Amino acid sequence: MTELQIPIEKYTLPNGMRVILSADHSVPVATVYIIYGAGARAEEEGRTGFAHLFEHMMFQGSENAPKGTHFRMVESNGGSLNGSTHPDYTDYFEVLPSNKLAVGLWLEADRMRALAINQENLDNQKEAVKQERRLSFDNQPYATAIVDRWPQLAYRNWQNSHSLIGSFEDLNAATVEDVARFFRTYYAPNNAVLVISGDIQIPEARLLVERYFGEIPPQPRPDPPDLTEPPQPAPRAEVYRDRLARVPAVLIGYPGPARRTPDFNAMVMLDLLLTGGDSSRFQQNLVKGTKSVIQYEANLGWPFAGPSDYKDPGVYAMMLLYNPAFRGDQILAQVEEEIAKLRKDGVDQKELERQRAYLRSSRIRQLETSRSRAALLGKYELLDGRPEYINTELGDFLAVGPGEIHAAAAKYLDPKRRTVLDIVPAEEQ
Amino acid sequence: MDRTEPPRTADLPLYKLPPVFETRLANGLTILLVMDRRFPMVSARLGFQCGSKFDPAELAGLSETTGALLTEGTATRSSRQIAEEVAAIGGTLRADSSPDSLLLAASALAENLPALLDLIADVTRNANFPEDEVALRKENRKQELIAQRSEAGFWADEKFLESVYSPHPYSRQDPTPESIDRLERGALAGFKDCHLAPNHAVFVLLGALPDQQQTLEMIAARFGDWAKRDTPAAPAARFPEPRRTIVLVDRPGSVQADIRIGRVAVTRSDPDYFPLLVGNTILGGAAASRLFSNIREKQGYAYDAHSSLAPLKDSGSFSVITQVRNEVLAPAIEALVAEMEAIAAQDVSAEELATAQNYLSGGFVIRIETQDGLASQLAAVKLLGLPVEYMEKYTQRVRSVEPGQIRAAARKYIRPDRASIVVVGDASAIGRNLEGIGSVSVVKAE
Repeated sequence: MTELQIPIEKYTLPNGMRVILSADHSVPVATVYIIYGAGARAEEEGRTGFAHLFEHMMFQGSENAPKGTHFRMVESNGGSLNGSTHPDYTDYFEVLPSNKLAVGLWLEADRMRALAINQENLDNQKEAVKQERRLSFDNQPYATAIVDRWPQLAYRNWQNSHSLIGSFEDLNAATVEDVARFFRTYYAPNNAVLVISGDIQIPEARLLVERYFGEIPPQPRPDPPDLTEPPQPAPRAEVYRDRLARVPAVLIGYPGPARRTPDFNAMVMLDLLLTGGDSSRFQQNLVKGTKSVIQYEANLGWPFAGPSDYKDPGVYAMMLLYNPAFRGDQILAQVEEEIAKLRKDGVDQKELERQRAYLRSSRIRQLETSRSRAALLGKYELLDGRPEYINTELGDFLAVGPGEIHAAAAKYLDPKRRTVLDIVPAEEQ
Repeated sequence: MDRTEPPRTADLPLYKLPPVFETRLANGLTILLVMDRRFPMVSARLGFQCGSKFDPAELAGLSETTGALLTEGTATRSSRQIAEEVAAIGGTLRADSSPDSLLLAASALAENLPALLDLIADVTRNANFPEDEVALRKENRKQELIAQRSEAGFWADEKFLESVYSPHPYSRQDPTPESIDRLERGALAGFKDCHLAPNHAVFVLLGALPDQQQTLEMIAARFGDWAKRDTPAAPAARFPEPRRTIVLVDRPGSVQADIRIGRVAVTRSDPDYFPLLVGNTILGGAAASRLFSNIREKQGYAYDAHSSLAPLKDSGSFSVITQVRNEVLAPAIEALVAEMEAIAAQDVSAEELATAQNYLSGGFVIRIETQDGLASQLAAVKLLGLPVEYMEKYTQRVRSVEPGQIRAAARKYIRPDRASIVVVGDASAIGRNLEGIGSVSVVKAE
């Protein structure tokens, strides 16, 4: 079977903004996707939650598109939109009927050029973010343990370990000056990648990009944050008493490899063998075999990232919800037994073939929408400088052999370097 | 070039459905085929008219558990074999139940279509509900239920459906630990044998298929000898008269109050459906909506403030949904109620109408950008008993809605005087704020 090829046309505007165009005319839909090199890991002490607060500010209006216009204009042109904040970037998209492409570009350019940063918008969005924190974290079981506590346990460098959603104290302390400075530093064209994918005409798209973004001035590039993580000499473990949870869960993590190295590819396949789909070892041996685990999720970069946006230093981590007839240390022992089996017995060729087929089809599904194609292209340009990975990385993953998986298990899934957070319902105290 | 003015663009294109070939096997199995060669994949849906509304009250969860167990063992394949075969063909295979139907969703790399059809036929026709798989599913479902009950939103949805639909089975969102305990292997097999009949099913297959004749032969070879049979009638579509009730679910430690306000509304076939759909979008169905701009952006009461129209086959509900900090519960409810009254009292503006109509039309096309999206929509439409053309006419019908129709529909279904109110939160912190609104019944979140 021939693998899919996503077309890529990449160039840079004089102001330093990188542009990727990818045409596909099968559905009359186009996506405008813009990714900024501004993530939570770049935040300063005393300013936690800033990248996310700023993402909110991006929807509060700009010079020619006053407050409320962004939502209304996208929706009145039949489109949908959103933005999201991540450890290493913040991204925004508009998915539109393809003859409405200019609308998305105009809106993105107007807010990159002249965002409306004022006290009223800031106060209002501080409240919205606090509400979001209450809704999505403070009022949810597991969420506070995952978002606030887990990074502190898994990392030592503050840049990596602080809360991505931020504290109420830091949010309250944010001033209009801070926001304006953040905007100048991080939301400059030379710190962004613009991707347009879907049913587009390349010459027309180029013209629109030049017209709307061409005159936005570049800024001095911000220094990249120092994310260096000291080596982990010993296992770390902690118990978290969750007042909202009713079923126990355990989080387990191991420091992961550098992005795009052979070890990275091996870890992607290793994770697939352990946790990918119903035929995976966790499903068959822990959910079915020992009947101890109820649900699980795992990823290179869990909980905030996956292989597409994992950036080192990072952690290969998992969360397992388990039957209260067991204890967290028993679940940990079962997980490590699965890892030990992999290290001792290696990988069965048939099992590997099966998981390769699973991976191949998952990838095709991922490439179906213009939005997910755009997001992959943008992330691979920003994180790797190589959008071509969208076409080549599957081959890299599929080429990983049993020996490399075996070696990765030994090198990375080392009990001496693990981090464990056992979440127990507080009422069991 | 004037950068201060938004660009002028052409009108939205009208959506054309890709050609759908529809036929029926001699045993009554409805088949829909769509050729889509963009990606080397195939997607299938096999849907049955037997959702949770057929569950006897004491066996709540019967349809859901039957669906979950279909892929856990057949006369010739163990659960593990099914999982391994599915992975090997680059596939997915799972069955889920909803209030009206039980839907098997499957996909695979296109080259593996025959193996995918084998698996679909085997699990729907020959599932045999192994004892140990049934026991494990029951145990884990009970734990999942405990986990779900630690979420405020789960309680809010559950009590809202109870308030709106009780005693109709639509009022039961989830099973109980007791009803799960009663789900024996025999009951599951009985539900399957009773309800999974070809003459009450729809099979959607789309993707990079072989030619039509060959595809039909492949389907007929696996489903043609499946005997048709009568299935039980759905429970009577009788629903209580809407009336104002206020339920407070006490969840100690809640830092927010989770609010639902709404009532029974309409099905997709009701003449009021499209006016209500557009009206709901204007009120709270999108980011440019009134609830979003007032409750979230202007008042700052909530992060999420939206409304929802949830049509089912025999009825439907309308609700507004938000989560606010405890101190502002009373003014937030007041603001929600005022918005619900306003849309029933005055015509929406031409700009709001156009925005909502375009948003719905565009969103419809975006939803069917993927094979899975299109397959799901086709299956859903057929399971509701609607023709495939419903999809093509959708945009047109959205666009023909007029302000007067929205106001009339809102007067009937959105106006809050007979709406149920459900609040989930810490009663010690918010109980008093609710007292001014009416008589409150309090239940414990346990």
